[in-house]
Amino acid sequence: MPAKIPRRTTLVGMAATFSTLAAKPVYAQGMGTVLITGASRGIGFEFAKRYAETGWTVIATARDPAMAEPLKALAKAHKNIRIEKLDVSDVKAVDALAEKLKGTAIDVLINNAGISGGSQNQKVGAIKYEVFDDVMHTNVLGPIKMAEAFAPHVAASTQKKIISISSTEGSLAGISARPDVNSIFYRASKSALNMAMINMAKALKDKGIIVIMLSPGLVQTDFVGDLRLPIMISAEQSVAMTMPIIARVTMDDTGKYFRHTGDLAAW
Amino acid sequence: MTDDIERRDVLIATAMFTTMLGMGFWTEAAMAADAKPSTTVLITGASRGIGTEFVKQYAARGYTVIATARDPAKAVDLQALAKANKNISIERMDVLDHASIDALAAKLKGKPIDILVNNAGIGGGGVNQVFGKINYAVFDDVMKTNVEGPLKVSEAFIDNVAASNMKKIMMVSSSQGSVASVRSASLYFYRASKSALNMVTVNLAKALKDKGVIVGMVAPGATDTDFMIEVRGRMPLGKPSERTAGMIVQIDAFTMEKSGQFFEWNGETVPW
Ligand SMILES: NC(=O)c1ccc[n+]([C@@H]2O[C@H](COP(=O)([O-])OP(=O)(O)OC[C@H]3O[C@@H](n4cnc5c(N)ncnc54)[C@H](OP(=O)(O)O)[C@@H]3O)[C@@H](O)[C@H]2O)c1
Ligand SMILES: NC(=O)c1ccc[n+]([C@@H]2O[C@H](COP(=O)([O-])OP(=O)(O)OC[C@H]3O[C@@H](n4cnc5c(N)ncnc54)[C@H](OP(=O)(O)O)[C@@H]3O)[C@@H](O)[C@H]2O)c1
Repeated sequence: MPAKIPRRTTLVGMAATFSTLAAKPVYAQGMGTVLITGASRGIGFEFAKRYAETGWTVIATARDPAMAEPLKALAKAHKNIRIEKLDVSDVKAVDALAEKLKGTAIDVLINNAGISGGSQNQKVGAIKYEVFDDVMHTNVLGPIKMAEAFAPHVAASTQKKIISISSTEGSLAGISARPDVNSIFYRASKSALNMAMINMAKALKDKGIIVIMLSPGLVQTDFVGDLRLPIMISAEQSVAMTMPIIARVTMDDTGKYFRHTGDLAAW
Repeated sequence: MTDDIERRDVLIATAMFTTMLGMGFWTEAAMAADAKPSTTVLITGASRGIGTEFVKQYAARGYTVIATARDPAKAVDLQALAKANKNISIERMDVLDHASIDALAAKLKGKPIDILVNNAGIGGGGVNQVFGKINYAVFDDVMKTNVEGPLKVSEAFIDNVAASNMKKIMMVSSSQGSVASVRSASLYFYRASKSALNMVTVNLAKALKDKGVIVGMVAPGATDTDFMIEVRGRMPLGKPSERTAGMIVQIDAFTMEKSGQFFEWNGETVPW
């Protein structure tokens, strides 16, 4: 039901004046339901906030909702946010949530949850292999499983989009052209994610599902730790830039790898 | 040919200096130049398929071959090869078992390895990687064998490779890892593992540049080994001997300028 109300608001706005429509951010058009993984913090939290403020129905998932204070506060302020517990690396948990949400149409699935594994653990000559599985499970297995388990929900929706938050750190061409060596597992995981999602795009085309990869920019979240660089943007800025991309992609874009600027990233 | 001339020149020059200066240092240099040039290669996953072919072909060149296998007792063909050729030694190494990698690295400490070929790899089974029926139980095996393994092996043998003449670390990747080339969905984990391996290799190439170590990727194309058991008869498959010979040509041609690049057995570049 809550999804109906904002949609009517939009219609009223449209009827009022065209300028109201033009002033509306593009992502405010065609609202629906979005499911976000890793919504407890950082970019995922910001997606939940923005989509909720825009009037979407938000299924915000977090691996430990009890600890996600800001998300709980957000959900208290917005009745259109529903919090669900989900660890994306837990295949059974993904199946259980997919089962619980059976029959719920999900317009946009955002595979956002991701970890770096800590750059200090990934220095050639002293690599800590114990973080390998965590990085691969969270960044690669999780998104594949999510896409597979939630494809029916997405296929039943109007917009039919699966978005995976990748990174230009996963760009083989991009990294080849740069001198720095960094976070070897993390980079490899994002290349692997891109490959998996290209395949997913091919597999889901017949179902009308659009699959894209999005690089959010260099975003000041816990993810980057103490790193501060002039090119860094806030999670608010990142999401404000990527939501319009999510809104405008069509089946012509399936399998593409976008930067937050809207340009395509190189493989 | 040019090698021989140079070697003779070196010998003559060395002999002259030795006589003139009477210094032990020059005698040593002359002896080293006189000795049969020794090139050592280490192959992972040498028990079957392309790995065994690498062993055969490098041994035929007169190279010293360290053929590693996770279960040497089962590697009957490899044992027969080693029996017939003194240049081949067999060592146990499971690329999933880091203790076995560290143990072999400790055993070979101080021994130069000219070419390290990270060949061991698994496909994970096509039937396990079909949309709607993906078997997540094979994910770890594929990722750890094809990505973590080659990185761990390379890291463990860096000093051996850096101490050699050729200084090459080569990954047997696959065009299946080419993100730009995907036409239809299949082999999610395997393809992702090879894309990940390529990214690991690109980074390793940069990390080892200062040590003079050349790191690259080669691929055999669809080749008739046990690996292709599911598709045998349904697509053209190359001969392991021919494809491996091709990859050896590519490995020969790798220079520091090409470090971090990826070539098919026939010299074609593979798009990312
Ligand atoms: N920040 C950047 O500059 C940047 C750049 C490129 C790409 N990215 C990508 O953007 C995405 C979000 O990153 P961020 O900057 O927002 O990072 P972040 O602030 O560290 O947040 C990561 C989020 O992922 C969640 N998460 C981690 N493992 C999970 C699991 N197994 N199951 C469910 N949730 C899990 C975390 O939950 P907990 O609160 O429970 O830990 C947290 O909500 C990641 O995929 C990252 O790779 C970020
Ligand atoms: N054949 C193709 O069409 C093709 C195409 C592109 C790329 N490749 C790549 O070429 C490489 C060799 O493939 P192949 O065709 O020779 O396959 P294969 O005939 O199936 O042989 C695979 C080899 O890898 C070994 N291996 C697997 N897991 C291992 C582990 N944990 N530790 C040590 N060794 C392990 C196997 O040992 P066991 O005998 O103990 O099982 C075997 O010797 C692989 O990296 C593959 O991805 C093959």
